[in-house]
Amino acid sequence: MLKAGLSRRTFIGGSVVLGALLTNFRFAKAFVAPSLPYRRKKIANIRELRTHRPIMFNYPDENSPAILVKIGRPAIGGIGPDKDIVAFSALCTHQGCPIQYSRGRFICKCHYSMFDPAKNGQTYQGHASEWLPQIRLRLDRKGNIYAEAIEGLVWGRVINLLPK
Amino acid sequence: MALFARKDRLPIPPKDAEKKTTVCQYCNVGCGYDVYKWPVGKDGGPKPSENALGIDFRKQQVALQGQAIIENMHTVVMDKDGKQYNVLVLPSKASPINRGNYSIRGGTNAQATYAPSKPTRNRLHYPLLRVGDQFQPISWDEAIDIIARVVKGVKDRWGPDSIAMKVHDHGGSGSGFEDNWAVGKFFFVAVGTRMLSIHNRPAYNSEVWGQRERGAHELNYSYEDARLADTIVLWGANSFETASVFYTEHMLPNLQGATIGEKKKIYRRGEPAEAARMIVVDPRRTASVTVAEDVAPGRVLHLRPNLGTDYVLANAIARAIYEKGWHDEEFIKKRTDLNTFEDYKKKSLMLDVPYEEFMRRVERLTGVSKRDIEKAAEWIAKPKRGGYRRRTLIIYEKGVIWGYKNYDTIASIAQIAALTGNYGKPGTGCGRQGGHQEGYVRPHSRSRAKLVGSIYAGGPPPNIDEYVKWDLRSKVYFVSGTDPYLSTPNAQEYKKRIHERTLALTKFLSEYAAAAGEPAGSEERAKRILEGLGKTDGLFLVVINMYQIETARDAHIVLPAAGWGETPQTSINCNSRLLRIYDKFMDPPGDAKPDWWIWGRIATRMKELYEAEGNYKEAKYCSGMDWKDAAEVFEDGASEFPDNRVSKADEAKLPAECYKGVTHDLLRKLGQKGIQTPVRIDPRTGKPVGTKRRYTYKFGTPDGKWKWYGTDPWDPDPKKFYPPQITKYFEHGNEKRFPFWFTNGRTQIFWQTGYHDRYLPEKVYTIPMPYIEMNYRDAERLGIKSGDIVEVYNMEGNCVAVVYVNDSPPPGTVYGIMYRFHESLNHLTTSYTDPKTTIPWYKASRVGIRKLSGKLEHIAKYTSFLPINDFK
Ligand code: SF4
Ligand code: FES
Repeated sequence: MLKAGLSRRTFIGGSVVLGALLTNFRFAKAFVAPSLPYRRKKIANIRELRTHRPIMFNYPDENSPAILVKIGRPAIGGIGPDKDIVAFSALCTHQGCPIQYSRGRFICKCHYSMFDPAKNGQTYQGHASEWLPQIRLRLDRKGNIYAEAIEGLVWGRVINLLPK
Repeated sequence: MALFARKDRLPIPPKDAEKKTTVCQYCNVGCGYDVYKWPVGKDGGPKPSENALGIDFRKQQVALQGQAIIENMHTVVMDKDGKQYNVLVLPSKASPINRGNYSIRGGTNAQATYAPSKPTRNRLHYPLLRVGDQFQPISWDEAIDIIARVVKGVKDRWGPDSIAMKVHDHGGSGSGFEDNWAVGKFFFVAVGTRMLSIHNRPAYNSEVWGQRERGAHELNYSYEDARLADTIVLWGANSFETASVFYTEHMLPNLQGATIGEKKKIYRRGEPAEAARMIVVDPRRTASVTVAEDVAPGRVLHLRPNLGTDYVLANAIARAIYEKGWHDEEFIKKRTDLNTFEDYKKKSLMLDVPYEEFMRRVERLTGVSKRDIEKAAEWIAKPKRGGYRRRTLIIYEKGVIWGYKNYDTIASIAQIAALTGNYGKPGTGCGRQGGHQEGYVRPHSRSRAKLVGSIYAGGPPPNIDEYVKWDLRSKVYFVSGTDPYLSTPNAQEYKKRIHERTLALTKFLSEYAAAAGEPAGSEERAKRILEGLGKTDGLFLVVINMYQIETARDAHIVLPAAGWGETPQTSINCNSRLLRIYDKFMDPPGDAKPDWWIWGRIATRMKELYEAEGNYKEAKYCSGMDWKDAAEVFEDGASEFPDNRVSKADEAKLPAECYKGVTHDLLRKLGQKGIQTPVRIDPRTGKPVGTKRRYTYKFGTPDGKWKWYGTDPWDPDPKKFYPPQITKYFEHGNEKRFPFWFTNGRTQIFWQTGYHDRYLPEKVYTIPMPYIEMNYRDAERLGIKSGDIVEVYNMEGNCVAVVYVNDSPPPGTVYGIMYRFHESLNHLTTSYTDPKTTIPWYKASRVGIRKLSGKLEHIAKYTSFLPINDFK
């Protein structure tokens, strides 16, 4: 149901409360992610994926680690036949430590924030004010999985594509 | 795909961005924040030389060392000059408290600011007057005039006690020293009523008289002590969630052994310095337990007493310490009062009852094993290798403060520390964790109404909830900076009664207007209100707040208050009594005003009215409140403190908050460093100096000695131990209808009633409605799963909640979030208050649980139900 490429507005339309919260968020719109010219990057082929076996990759550049994982339950923004393949920035949004995928969720052992990969990287416990930035994925006919854009600010940057 | 708008870049503050010092508006920890503000469109550049932070934004920052700058820390505000400004509210690396760390609450400080284009536009802009069933904006002059006339009229006719209040009492958020001083001067001096209650509670009281009356203020340690302690005890305190950064920035490193170097510098020569141990006393397996277990396996002890039995458990640990001879003989002799010690030994330690028999009774009542009690005793007090005394820091909070027998519970815990010499030395201390920050200064010396202490100090204070509910002598009720419709105990009945009484007045006014037309101005309106108060059971309700809170729905007048960042204010934090300025960096919405200004205006108007009728005596009581700015209020408040030109040892005699000699300007200079209260004026240099740690030389009693206290006797049979408000649930079939214990608490995710958080998308998704936690065993038996919707109900009230199934509450006990935005599980708490202090027992009740058929799809889909206490 939640295809990548579906516009945010259509999607949010489902949530009356938050739809109302956003309509007047004028300035936010200016920087609403993805607002930058992200490049598409191939991460893996769907045949290589095993449930709960994360694949590390870097996106949008080599200094920004990310995790691709098949979580075995349908996820918001998930792709594949089971809608359970998701990717996130692997830097904790709290103070930038690397997060680990363990038993179906992400955990950061620096100050014990936990994020739910099925729920848009929601911080369901811990200090991290910001949910984990989710990476938009695309699946092609051959089963190749591509990262297309990142929704949310990667920790340690003020702009996801580092300026020169 | 994202559930709400996310950003992938933020504007960079230019080199000349305005920088202000502030402190998080939320919890007790008081993390420091730096505010950067600059006009929209005038951004800085990514090179270190091009921005105010001196950071190279062309590079990825390093984890932990780098400055956290996240989406939520940026916003755009509009000032009265009509211009838009970027604002960054960043956790300060210069703050000794948080060192750049922050929590899920504080990280959204910027989002909580007012902006006409954001949901916070819901802030109150103008004074509102109820006419029938609507609110109409009116001018400040008219609103103030009506209130002043009504207060004066009621006071003249029925006496000062006809005016009741429930107001803010703390620091951070919207209050601090300035607002607390102003509201105190208004009620203590201008009005002179005794019908006072504060914050969430039914009365005007300290929550910890049990410790204060021993000679120690509850805020006596410093954050360093959490880094230096051999053992940290968290008693009824889920610090990971409710003092988040204090736990992760200072306690965790100690558990990990990362502070051993700091210990070696401070400890005595030859004294063993190791990674700390932690004891958590809490019926629930909270995140504070499970995080500690993950960090320090084998060095965490978790005691899970039956609800309300903590004072018995505390005395049992003390007895075990005494029995083994691990108490601090020298400290007891030198620093404590040996006469009252006899009473303590007899009543609290119950030395007349043989040890084994005593422990059998304790085990039966508390459910905690003798083995665990003795282990706790060992970890708290058994001397280290070489005979060095173990340094133990005991931190307690609402789990016991709001427990059964508030006075005895707090006293018993505080006395463990005295018994083991754990006051006044590095790595020691015993006090509350704190919920809010603090900022208490009130004109006690000039008060026209006598304020009382516990039952041992002229009290207990009257229960104002009961007074406004049932006693028709109460005519005017002020509610300011608190939302009792959510937060007062036994809230459902309270709401019902306040509604009935305020409606009686409204009806009278409507009928009057139907017959004679609307009044022509504030004087006539006030006259009718006074007439209505005489002729009906009515209550005139004034609410002062930043938002149209739940309680405001029954108000007659609602006044808009300025909030954090909109006026300069000062507060201290709880872990170190660190006084800092929370500077103004933006204008309040509409015509909202600081609380101190509002109270000052009402008093000044009353003064004019008294002068007009030649009553100069009353007029005088209402004078001296026409302050010009916050700095002046702060200095006016300082006049209440005693002469603080005293020696280091005599800090013990000063009020914990004493800031005499400090000004807003000095605090601006000190910035994040701040100054720790009580502040003394150094007799040699004449300069203000802070106090790192309290009671190193003496306690705060006339002779400087700790005063012991012997607690109440107890019965090991629960049916005889608990008060009637609970035992009624054990009789007449109630035990079957209400088979669960119910306890409540907070979450890390949002702050208090969520007055700001309800406008933040993350919070709305994560905590979509009130929730309860239920043990797997109970859930399986009842066929309940995470995400199911249940009704929780008892003889006090009901609430509908979503369920999280996990292993945090023990089987047979459910735990609920105390309140969430609009709804409140406080409906289920009983009206019990400790007869010694009038402090409620929020933490225990009995409930039945009924599963609602069907689910709320939106919640099932978007909210995470993963177990919040499982970190493996
Ligand atoms: S721990 Fe408390 S003071 Fe610190 S950022 Fe969080 S809410 Fe604010
Ligand atoms: S860096 Fe991940 S929780 Fe702090």
